[in-house]
Formats: sequence, structure tokens, C-alpha cells
Amino acid sequence: MTSILTHRTTRPASIALAATLLLAPLATLAPASRAQEVTVSSSSSATSERWLHVRVIDSGHKGETVRVNVPLEMAEKVLPAIHKDRLHNGKVQINHSDIEGVDLKALLEAVRSSKDGEYVTVQSNDNDVRVAKQAGYMVVHVTEKGFKPGKLEKDDKDKSDKSADKSERSYERSRVDVKIPMKVVEALLSAGQDELDILAALRALSAHGGDTELVTVKSDDSTVRVWLDSKNVSD
Amino acid sequence: MMILAKLALGTATTLMVAGVYTFREGTIRVDVDEQREGGAHVHIWAPAAVVPMALHFVPDDKLRQVTERSNEWAPLARIAARELRKYPNTTFVEVEDGEQHVKVSTVGTKIQVDVTGPEENVHVAVPLVMIDDVIAQIAARQPAS
Repeated sequence: MTSILTHRTTRPASIALAATLLLAPLATLAPASRAQEVTVSSSSSATSERWLHVRVIDSGHKGETVRVNVPLEMAEKVLPAIHKDRLHNGKVQINHSDIEGVDLKALLEAVRSSKDGEYVTVQSNDNDVRVAKQAGYMVVHVTEKGFKPGKLEKDDKDKSDKSADKSERSYERSRVDVKIPMKVVEALLSAGQDELDILAALRALSAHGGDTELVTVKSDDSTVRVWLDSKNVSD
Repeated sequence: MMILAKLALGTATTLMVAGVYTFREGTIRVDVDEQREGGAHVHIWAPAAVVPMALHFVPDDKLRQVTERSNEWAPLARIAARELRKYPNTTFVEVEDGEQHVKVSTVGTKIQVDVTGPEENVHVAVPLVMIDDVIAQIAARQPAS
């Protein structure tokens, strides 16, 4: 009787034990599959994420193209871990001598504390520069002029500078457009006297809603575009 | 007969546990194909768990160069590996230069680097979890200062 009982109880017990042993490895897989679910859901909720995109197209003979897509949240986490040269803890040290005596911080501070308007307008034979503050953005436009050989049209002659060579026709060689939200500028200046807080600027950029075109450079042979949106692809 | 069945069950269970443990971190894939005549074709497909295990057998003096300077890059690499896991199936960097194409992306839970060109094609895929494990081991083997 005892042996029958023992046999009856040990058999299901051994089956249960075997089943547990066989299923145990699957249990170790469970965290991984859960992690997968988390990542998938994070990907599907990517619409709330902010992505910084950089695209460089060089239309030279090789036709080089560079595309970089960086989630701002990731950049915010990674940046403080970089300690290289002047970049430490998400802040970059600036040396006034490096920017040819221009007090960049004072300049940005002046723009930040001023009302909307056009601050700098430079028009010369070689360049046109415009710095303005409008609708919560700091806007910079720089146009570099070039000259092509050839006769000027009558209208162009009237518009052209008298000092320019009459046998050359002026054209837009390159154009740089920068549009930075003022909150980002403020965040950039929130660090100490001689440093720029890149991390704070990234956070401000992350909090900035809507798609924003930050930098556009167009020249004869290349195009550079830096922009912010909620997509994880650049095209 | 019963003993044989138990032995078979034990062996099967052990093999399954070992298999699941070995492959729990996924696999590393390295493909190198040289396009020239007689060029090398290297294809490696190995369980990622093998790498942290193999690191245990690397002598300290061989690993010193890596561990000594790990303070500089290990925290950054660890954070980057963890953060990248949040973005599966994303292309982070893509460079096209004439016939050469370089792509750094995540494919599922792996980081993948693809380099295709007229001379050779290289594809490397490494599970991000493995990077974390390897860095943790390197940090643990750092000489006490």
C-alpha cells in the first residue's frame, strides 16, 4: 500500500518537477521579451519624441550625403557622460580669444533681453548679414555673394554697387539661415560666465513644440539642413 | 528503463537550459566579403553570451590597456548602449559617398554597422545587452588605483 502511494505521489511530482525544469529557461527569457515589449511600445509612442536631424548633401562629383538622426532624449542622457577637451558635464568652455574678441555671451544676452526687431544688418559687396529677433526666435541670415563674368542687365546695373566690376554679374554664392528658439538661447546662457550649457539648450529644444527648421545652408555645391521634428527618419 | 528516462530528461533539460542561457543575449554576426578575386569571405555567427564568458579567460596584462583607460569611455558607452535599446529599428547615421555606403542603425535589440563598397562589404551586428555586459566586466577588472 505504502509503495503504491509512494509511486502514485512521486510520479506526478516528478512530472511536475520535469515540467518546471523544462519551463524554467523560458521564465529566464521572459524579462527579455518584456524588454522587447517596452522597446516596441516606446517606438510606437515615438510621436511625442523629439528628434534632431542633420542632413548634408554635397553635390560634388562624388555626391556625398550624410544623414544623422538623434533622439533628443538620448542626447540629453549621453551628453553629460562626455568629458573631452572643453566639453564637460554637458557644458562647453568658451575662450574669448577663440572668437576673435567677440563676447559671444554678451552678444546673445543683448539679443535675449531686447524686444523683437532687426539688430544687425550688414550689406557689402561680398556678404549680406541680418540678425533679428522675431516671434520668440533668434534669426540669422547670411548671404555670401559671388561674381560671374558676363555683362550686367540694365536692371542689375542699377541695383549693383558702383564699386563692383561692371564686367561681372553678382549672384548668391551661399546662403545660411539660422532660426533658434529664444528659450534655447536663454538655456545656452544659463551656465557660468565662460561656458555654454549645451545640455540645458538640448532640454529647451526638447521642450520646444512643433517642427522647427534650425539651420539651412545652401551653396553651389552643398546643402546642409538641421531640423527638429517628431519623426525618427530624415526623409 | 526508468533510470534511462530520467537520465535523458536530465540531459535534455541541461542542454535546454545551457542553450537558452547561451542565446539569451542573442547572437553576434560578422560578415566580411572582399569583392576582389580570391578575396576573403568571413562569416561569423556566435552567441553573444560567449564574449563576456571569454573575457574571463583573457589575462589581466593583455586587458590592462583597455581597462586602464576605461574610465574615459566606459560610462559613455554604457549609457549609449542602454539608450540605444529604446530605439529599435532606427537609422542613426547614414553616409553615402559615391559607391561607398555606411550605415549605423539598430535592428531590434542589436546595433548594426553596414559598410558596403566596391572593394568590400562588412556587416557587423552586436546585441546591445552584450555591450553592457562587456563594459561591466572591463570596469570590474580595472586595476585598483
